[in-house]
Amino acid sequence: MISLAGRDILHSLGKFVFTGMGLGLLIGVTLSMAGIYRGLVDDGKALLDNSGADLWVVQQDTLGPYAESSSIYDDIWRGVRSMSGVAKAANVTYFTMQVRLGERDVRAMVTGITAGEPGTPGWPAYLVAGRHITRGHYEAVADMATGFKLNDRIEIRRNLYTVVGLTRRMVSSGGDPMVFIPIKDAQEAQFLKDNDAIWQQRHRTAANPAFNRPQVPGLLDAVIASQSINSFVNSILVQVAAGHDAEEVAASIRRWKHLTVYTRSQMEKILIGKLIATSAKQIGMFLVILSIVSAAIVAFIIYTLTLGKIREIAVLKLIGTKNRTIVGLIMQQALALGVIGFVVGKITATLVMAPIFPKYVLLEPLDSVLGFCAIVVICMLSSVVAIRAAMKIDPAEAIGG
Amino acid sequence: MRRLPLQRRTLIMLVVLLPLLVLFVYVALRSGPLAPVSVTVTKVESRSVAPGLFGIGTVEARYTYKIGPTFAGRIKTLDVDVGDYVKSGQVLGEMDPIDLDQRIHAQEATLKRAEAQLSEALASLAYAQTQARRYQVLLGVRSTSEEILFTKKREQQVAEANLNASRAELARVQAEREALQEQRKSLVLVAPADGLVSARNADPGTTIVAGQAVIEMINPKSLWITTRFDQIHSDGLAADLPVSIVLRTGAADSQRGRILRLEPVADAVTEETLAKVAFDHLPERLPAVGELAEVTVFLPALPAGPVIPNAAIQRIHGKIGVWQVINDELRFTPVILGGADLDGHVQVREGLKIDDQIVVYSARTLNARRKIRVVDHLQGAKP
Amino acid sequence: MTGKGIRIEGLKKRYGSGNTAVEALKGVDMQVAPGEVVGLIGPSGSGKTTLLKCLGAVIEPTSGRMILGDKMIYDDGWRVNDLRALRRDRIGFIFQAPYLIPFLDVTDNVALLPMLAGTPNDEARRRAIELLTSLDVEHRARAMPSQLSGGEQQRVAIARGLINRPPVILADEPTAPLDSERALAVIRILNTMASKFETAIIVVTHDEKIIPTFKRIYHIRDGVTYEEAGAGRTIESLQ
Repeated sequence: MISLAGRDILHSLGKFVFTGMGLGLLIGVTLSMAGIYRGLVDDGKALLDNSGADLWVVQQDTLGPYAESSSIYDDIWRGVRSMSGVAKAANVTYFTMQVRLGERDVRAMVTGITAGEPGTPGWPAYLVAGRHITRGHYEAVADMATGFKLNDRIEIRRNLYTVVGLTRRMVSSGGDPMVFIPIKDAQEAQFLKDNDAIWQQRHRTAANPAFNRPQVPGLLDAVIASQSINSFVNSILVQVAAGHDAEEVAASIRRWKHLTVYTRSQMEKILIGKLIATSAKQIGMFLVILSIVSAAIVAFIIYTLTLGKIREIAVLKLIGTKNRTIVGLIMQQALALGVIGFVVGKITATLVMAPIFPKYVLLEPLDSVLGFCAIVVICMLSSVVAIRAAMKIDPAEAIGG
Repeated sequence: MRRLPLQRRTLIMLVVLLPLLVLFVYVALRSGPLAPVSVTVTKVESRSVAPGLFGIGTVEARYTYKIGPTFAGRIKTLDVDVGDYVKSGQVLGEMDPIDLDQRIHAQEATLKRAEAQLSEALASLAYAQTQARRYQVLLGVRSTSEEILFTKKREQQVAEANLNASRAELARVQAEREALQEQRKSLVLVAPADGLVSARNADPGTTIVAGQAVIEMINPKSLWITTRFDQIHSDGLAADLPVSIVLRTGAADSQRGRILRLEPVADAVTEETLAKVAFDHLPERLPAVGELAEVTVFLPALPAGPVIPNAAIQRIHGKIGVWQVINDELRFTPVILGGADLDGHVQVREGLKIDDQIVVYSARTLNARRKIRVVDHLQGAKP
Repeated sequence: MTGKGIRIEGLKKRYGSGNTAVEALKGVDMQVAPGEVVGLIGPSGSGKTTLLKCLGAVIEPTSGRMILGDKMIYDDGWRVNDLRALRRDRIGFIFQAPYLIPFLDVTDNVALLPMLAGTPNDEARRRAIELLTSLDVEHRARAMPSQLSGGEQQRVAIARGLINRPPVILADEPTAPLDSERALAVIRILNTMASKFETAIIVVTHDEKIIPTFKRIYHIRDGVTYEEAGAGRTIESLQ
């Protein structure tokens, strides 16, 4: 017995493959949507993983430092460091701003990292080129997504930084690439106003008689100096010593220092539950809609393909083809279409959508497997509808008039 | 018989579907969490590491002079302006004496009066002495009473005391007059040393309080750089180490200098060590006070030993180490690190040997179970 | 009769029920001996198509008897279980239009039937080529139906109808699209096949070109048949 489905496909191969590819693009977009959703969640997790921290110490009663702004004094870390169970504690600042290279502006999350060695909390976990920061000022490590290359001189506020290292997948929860600079420079950048504003402020301070007393010559300078200092950071990242429980250490910090402390799982809940919840819901809805539309289109295509073969099916029935054979013809074609669609879809999603989409697209094999099963089921179900139509075809119609 | 059309059909199908299948397999194996991770590796080399320290400083003048009056007054004239070079002792300006001259006059008059009083006291004493002697003689011839002689002797004592008082009064008035004259001198603002006028804080006619600086001077030959080094990165900082200085305005060339001294008091708030850095040769165009400078200190080179790039250093489960490649598999090797230079080369004191292969860059986080694929450089990170 | 040939007795077919019922067949008697080629002539609306459908076991008659060879296939109800197998193995169809399967080549179109019955592919194709050869179309054996002329397609369709060597062949206007030369050629083939394989062939037609070739003709009008002797002329005499 020959394969009727195979012969039919071969006979109109172009049309079939074309249809399969069209379907494949649709499936590819659906798979990409799932990938975008996963990428969104992964962005949040990547941020937490890459910070190298077990605990986040933030301003009392805030959800910071990612979900809400948090400000704590930059010398509190010493008290945290001395608590039992704390292996390392380091200040960190986060500030999303425009970073300039020549004519081009890139939106990045500028992260201030404490001076130290690789492995200090806040430092990028791994590099893809260059080296870590060794100088205490004016060096930067940038994520590849910024488009910066090694030895570029980038401008943050009014200082120039040399890019000495590149990272990958170091992004904020919103998908903005991160640029790591020494924390002192970051504190200055976060606080520093433009020159006009500074001049204005000095002028106002000098005009205030409370600060500008002639009998106290150094007072004005001292006041202006104090206005130009930023002694705040956004968070203290803590690494818990081996053998200690993160939650216990967090509890002791909370109790003795009157600060809010989050463990890794709590941060995940905040990031994924609060920060990206809205986006995730939106994308989730899109995913569902796309899946339904894809299913409907697959069903429609298979039904139409079957209807186009009414005469052949009638003839086949008339000359004595078993129902089983005709059902097989339709179902095999449906499955073939589904397989081609899936293959094209997976290729499109991986090689086309993922690289060009501005956000991170994470395609997991589990999603592909689920997608494949879903496509197979949809193809079979839709072929059932077509088969019922085929079964109703009256062979007597082949005998005309 | 059957073969030909079948072959043509099969050929078409193969031409269309086979590349699709190949792409699919490629995609399935090469992407996603199952795919091998691209890494670059390097051998541990033996090098001598020349550590460097990096600090930011501001140019300051070693000696700054603030010149002003010692009491409140008004500025009469100023003879210099910002940017003028002055010599030691040069008159910079003058304060308005206001009533000082009159007070000196008054003091001179008082002096004359004191002198006159002194003369009067002298005369009184002479008279009293004469009287005392006469009555002494009289008493000898019993022409007067002892009581009267006593009185005359007492008058003589009083006259002596008056004379002493007048003398002291004269001295006092003289001293006061000298004091006023000294003050008169200090109305003249004088440069205490050679230097450059760096600020002129008030113009003639302005009223100044005591202690307020009217003219500020610096010694331009004494420019140094107050530099701050992160405490955590200032191991080995000591006086007399050579440095390279890059000024904000002259970013192209660097100057040579040395560390003059380490400040005994560090900055506890910013956690920085302070040091003073002097130029070996002052640049032609003097940098302005307050200009930023980047200072790089060259420490003596450490003896050669195993050295790794700092990009290879990872922290896994609280331990510092590197990913070593042994037989194409990953293994985490904890290390103890030594000195590092400013280019990212770090000495390894324990944990690795020369020629060990370690992972430097990776496209993803690594763990011991991941498969790796060694490449020359990672995609998108071409030098 | 021997194990071939077909006989119908008192076949009735009613469509619908009650007041709107239509009696398409009102008691048809017919018999065709093995090796015989008879014509079935009638105007449209005469029940011709209905009769063909009953003969082909495509629709169920209302009452009557149908005997195929020595087997009673209908006696006021189907006496066979698998009608489709019946059609496949024992009845051959030749339609007005070739109705070839467009995605199978000529050989496979013909060989499909034996393959469906379980014959190995090589054997089925061999038989198909044999048949195509005897119909003078074996040179198109590997072509697709769309590449054939109308006449060639018709001959392939005929081969399909014949391949299982069914005892009965029903031909519905097989010569309608053909010119007289081709039409006579078709009749010649049918006659050859009939005598060679002892097939009983019923040809529904109103084609004046071929009617003279029949030895026996059934006229059907208003659901009833009348038998008539045909002219029985030879093909050569008509060319």
